[in-house]
Amino acid sequence: MNWNLFLTELVAGITHGSVYALIALGYSMVYGILKLLNFAHGDIYMVGAFIGFGVITVFGGATALTTSLVILLVSMFVLAMLGGGLLGVMIERFAYRRLRNAPRIAPLITALGVAFFLENSAQLILGAEFQSYDSFSWKNGELWSKGFELPAGVHVALAQIIVVVGTLVLMVALTYFVRATQTGKAMRATSFDREGAAMMGIDVDRVIVVTFFIGSALAGAAGVFNCMVYQQLWPYMGFQAGLFAFTAAVVGGIGNLPGAVLGGMLIGLAQAFATGYVSSTFEEAIVFAILIAVMLIRPSGLLGKAAIQKV
Amino acid sequence: MPGKLLELDQVSKSFGGLRSVQELTMHVDDGEIVSVIGPNGAGKTTLFNLITGVYAPNGGDIRFDGESLLGLEPHEITGRGIARTFQTLRLFLNMTVKENVMAAAYCHTHAGVLRSILRTPGMRREAKEIEQLAEERLSFFGQRLMGYRWNQPAYSLSYANRRRLEIARATATKPRMLLLDEPAAGMNPVETHEITELISRLRNEGGYTILVIEHDMHVVEGISDRVIALDHGEKISEGTFEQVATDPRVVEAYLGAGTGTATK
Amino acid sequence: MDDGGNPNLPARPDEGEPGIRVGVDDWVATHEQRDVRRTGLTGKANDLIDRTPRWWFYVAFGLLAGLLPALTSNGYVIRVGFDTLIYMLLCLGLNVVVGYAGLLDLGYVAFFGFGAYIFAMLSSPKFGLHWDALIVVPLAVVATGLLGLLVALPSRRLVGDYLAIVTLFFGQLFVTIMQNGSRFSLLGIGDHSWDLTGGPNGIPDIDNWDLGGFKISSLNGYYLTALTVFMISLFAIYLVDVSRTGRAWKSLREDPLAAELMGIPVNRLKLLAFAISAGIGGLAGTLFAGLNTAVFAADFDVPTLIIVYAMLILGGAGSLGGVILGAIVVNVSLEALRTPGHATWIFYTLIVATIIAKVRPWRWVVIVIGGTIGLGYLLVAIANEWWPRGTAGEPTVSGWLGTWLNEWVLHPSDPQTIGNICFIVLVFAVLGLTLLKPWLLWVAMIPTLYLAAFVWQNRLVVEPSVTRLILIGVVLIVLMNARPQGLLGAHRIEIA
Repeated sequence: MNWNLFLTELVAGITHGSVYALIALGYSMVYGILKLLNFAHGDIYMVGAFIGFGVITVFGGATALTTSLVILLVSMFVLAMLGGGLLGVMIERFAYRRLRNAPRIAPLITALGVAFFLENSAQLILGAEFQSYDSFSWKNGELWSKGFELPAGVHVALAQIIVVVGTLVLMVALTYFVRATQTGKAMRATSFDREGAAMMGIDVDRVIVVTFFIGSALAGAAGVFNCMVYQQLWPYMGFQAGLFAFTAAVVGGIGNLPGAVLGGMLIGLAQAFATGYVSSTFEEAIVFAILIAVMLIRPSGLLGKAAIQKV
Repeated sequence: MPGKLLELDQVSKSFGGLRSVQELTMHVDDGEIVSVIGPNGAGKTTLFNLITGVYAPNGGDIRFDGESLLGLEPHEITGRGIARTFQTLRLFLNMTVKENVMAAAYCHTHAGVLRSILRTPGMRREAKEIEQLAEERLSFFGQRLMGYRWNQPAYSLSYANRRRLEIARATATKPRMLLLDEPAAGMNPVETHEITELISRLRNEGGYTILVIEHDMHVVEGISDRVIALDHGEKISEGTFEQVATDPRVVEAYLGAGTGTATK
Repeated sequence: MDDGGNPNLPARPDEGEPGIRVGVDDWVATHEQRDVRRTGLTGKANDLIDRTPRWWFYVAFGLLAGLLPALTSNGYVIRVGFDTLIYMLLCLGLNVVVGYAGLLDLGYVAFFGFGAYIFAMLSSPKFGLHWDALIVVPLAVVATGLLGLLVALPSRRLVGDYLAIVTLFFGQLFVTIMQNGSRFSLLGIGDHSWDLTGGPNGIPDIDNWDLGGFKISSLNGYYLTALTVFMISLFAIYLVDVSRTGRAWKSLREDPLAAELMGIPVNRLKLLAFAISAGIGGLAGTLFAGLNTAVFAADFDVPTLIIVYAMLILGGAGSLGGVILGAIVVNVSLEALRTPGHATWIFYTLIVATIIAKVRPWRWVVIVIGGTIGLGYLLVAIANEWWPRGTAGEPTVSGWLGTWLNEWVLHPSDPQTIGNICFIVLVFAVLGLTLLKPWLLWVAMIPTLYLAAFVWQNRLVVEPSVTRLILIGVVLIVLMNARPQGLLGAHRIEIA
């Protein structure tokens, strides 16, 4: 067995899986509350990545950073999360809110419209070319030269550690928020029964806004995480990532937060091993196969509960 | 001597830890009107869902006309001759009144896509029959669902007319047996009285065997050949209306026992 | 714009009103008034339209469309007509699954592509096969229908959301496979690989339709073939729509569980809708491949999907007339957007029409339009004085309209950056407008409109290919929020 290849792909899978998990969390949260598949979620991730790119540009560009790595990273994350969150809140307010009681298909098509609008507006403003974070050049490549060694000569870079640890921190914070805070409890109540929650005096509008903000902020962070490791960004990057994250949410059990993380990791690992052992052109087919298999065997997802049909 | 049309044999259904129906054995004879009563949460609607195949029972057997219904899809059970209405009305709201009834003729008609495109004579005859069937079923309710109303969308109907349309729709599947889930719920006294008469007419003129869930005791008294009382998914009493209404276990289930020992 | 309900609307009939008589419902009480309302010329016209059988309109459309080649010899116009017919066919198929059965199929264009690729593989030099279209086309339709069945199968028991994700994924997968199909191998086993799809280069040199020796080679021929195919499909779908199958589809769209319990085999009907819809998509694909003589995977990607959805939604899902109208309006608009002159005309006409339709009282119409242009002249004058670069750019539209616009819209010499910033500001401004109430709204409209004109002239008109897609996105969002039933669809009520 080739341990080098195996470990390399394992590390890559966990890193990529963290990114998917972050995006999938947002999908799942929004779905849990509004029962809406927010197709625009992947594009918020794209916007987050571009905000990070903007920060790099402001600080002098990848090869000539005028600030320390810590300040750069912190400002990238804070701005990408804020920007992503606000964008999500705006989308909810202006595109979805009026459609809460519309036929199910209406908000889905609106979401497609929003996604399409965001992608093409980004192309208008930023151009269709690929850009790169070029994190190898940041401060002589510290992000990549530092790190620790695994057996069989596999190097885990600081960039990858930051992604995985950052994801973990955000997840723990989210879990705490949903479990322990007043707003988190209101969120769970709303996702269980929106009308009932409203009658119990919960400000459902506010809960939905908070949900969109948090979910979208996570997507914004995911955009920065992704490009820190995988460098490239372009206006249509959100589509495929969104699709995979979406699949992750469904595989884990949509509306279920630990499920979204599990699904994200699963998809990330499947993709990494497909690339390593078969061919990168098959990654999509393999993720699709996972989706179909889960839907046939466990339609409510790995951690989801089967809903009882009410008559 | 009419035989047993519907038989339930030791049927159980639980959701997680909640046992909604427990080892229920009951039957409905051909041509009979049987009422199921019981407090909220007694498992009455679950019973209907079990019979119509929405839920699969955890144990026991359900037989219709001697044949087991277990494992059949709901639409197949309807095709065998059991049609139902819903406690929370479930009409096809954006279709017209007549279309609602015509849609229910699907299970006993046959023209497929190809024959519809080619408009074969058989298909056209069938289409005409469906329309006649719908008009005939709607005319059962007197003037209530006639005339211009045929082409109104179902959402434009009043609450009482929606209940009537649900019954008309159910009868258009050409059932032998009707399951009516609280047909008088939400109706005013005049309408309730009408429903009572209507259910008798459904049996006498339509020839349907009827199993009905009802809370209104006047309706139950007026229509029932036999009454079955459920509580916590178990049959606690069965017999004529007088027998069941005076059964202390039923009184206890409805009013709650002073001692708190309940029914278990 | 108005967040609260309209107080002038009558109460919903099922809510009932105090003091209403027993046994008489709202509809009876108000039925007479409803009749009275239908007077006047428009009322009579409406009545007439309502009473005319639907298929009369379809025949009339077919005849009119058939006259197009006789009316013009302009190849471009016929070409646009052909494309529109292809889109109509696509909408027709999508309408079956979305409009009738109420299922969201986001992999639909893959079926279009599948049909096109089958035709391309079986009648082109690619594999040296040059089969007769009379064989290939039915084969493609059936194969695509079966593929549709296969895609819907795993998600048949699941709610619409899951179907949406599976189909979206399937559509993506299709594009990826077609794009990488130039080096198919048996999962990396062995070194040999086969070229099945031509990869990103597509399949070129596709034969023309050959109907048993009768070759269709001219543009007019294709146009009329497409029209014939569309009309036949339209009538077939119309007949299915009014049959028991059509009713069953609509009932399962309304309430799948109730439909199932009324004896309708819901799963089988969903699969049937999917297969028929996919088959029509495949049919459109064969026509598309025949005229274009080449197929590329990129033609069957998300933008095409969104365009077809926009057409269906604009026309009104579930309405066959809407399919025709939606495809015409959207495709002709998209074509017009290719040339800056036409696009500019459409842009300003739409804005003025919206203002005239929505702004009341009338004097505000004058104030808003006049104010915008006045503001423009003022800004141009200021710029001439203080910021010469602001007017140094060339007008982007030719003709008198361009010259006149140049008089009051700033055209900076290097508009890219400032145009981009203004685009973002414009998006925020328009969103902000939706929160305002008249008359503050009318006042705020003046600078917003000016900003819109500025962004249009300097940024959007310059990049028509992106602008088209942005506008499609906007159309979908606005339509769904303002008029989800589209132009010709019936208003639907949903009670959760």
